[in-house]
Amino acid sequence: MGLLPDEAKVLPPPGIVNRNSLWFGLCGWATAMLHNSLNRRPALKAGVHRQALFITVGWFIGYHLTKYENYKYATLDRDMKEYMRLHPDVFPEKEPKTFAEIVEPFHPIR
Amino acid sequence: MPLGRLFLRTSTVNRMVSRNSFIASKPDPSKPNMLRVGLAFGSTAVLWALLFKQHSTDLHEYKTRNGLE
Repeated sequence: MGLLPDEAKVLPPPGIVNRNSLWFGLCGWATAMLHNSLNRRPALKAGVHRQALFITVGWFIGYHLTKYENYKYATLDRDMKEYMRLHPDVFPEKEPKTFAEIVEPFHPIR
Repeated sequence: MPLGRLFLRTSTVNRMVSRNSFIASKPDPSKPNMLRVGLAFGSTAVLWALLFKQHSTDLHEYKTRNGLE
């Protein structure tokens, strides 16, 4: 992990197939197809090596971006929970209400 | 000497990226530059291998740090 600190290793790593990887891979593929189209080549059938390389680069960037995103959200959650622990007066425990207490009385008009 | 004659040796002298219009040709899709294709596929394979290795390292680190293995 290049730009992640050591404590980020406690988090579970994202799967190989993850949302950011799929999206960036798709963007890479679209870039390769656009490159083909702008050079007046058949979009899908030409330059397969370029398409593969761009998809792979996008997938790679997406995986590391997902890792970074997970770490950022985890730190936010940790800070929020710590704040809630240190200020319990601001977060009172509420009694759970049943629907019967919340819902207005029903007057059928038939 | 006509100026054109001075350009006849340009391709041998000028090795820079600029293309000499006397020897330039359109890129020919029926004759692929196999070195570039090989490099592209090779770097694709390397990147996938790096990704899988990084994933397995991360998984192992996660399991050891949380005492799951």
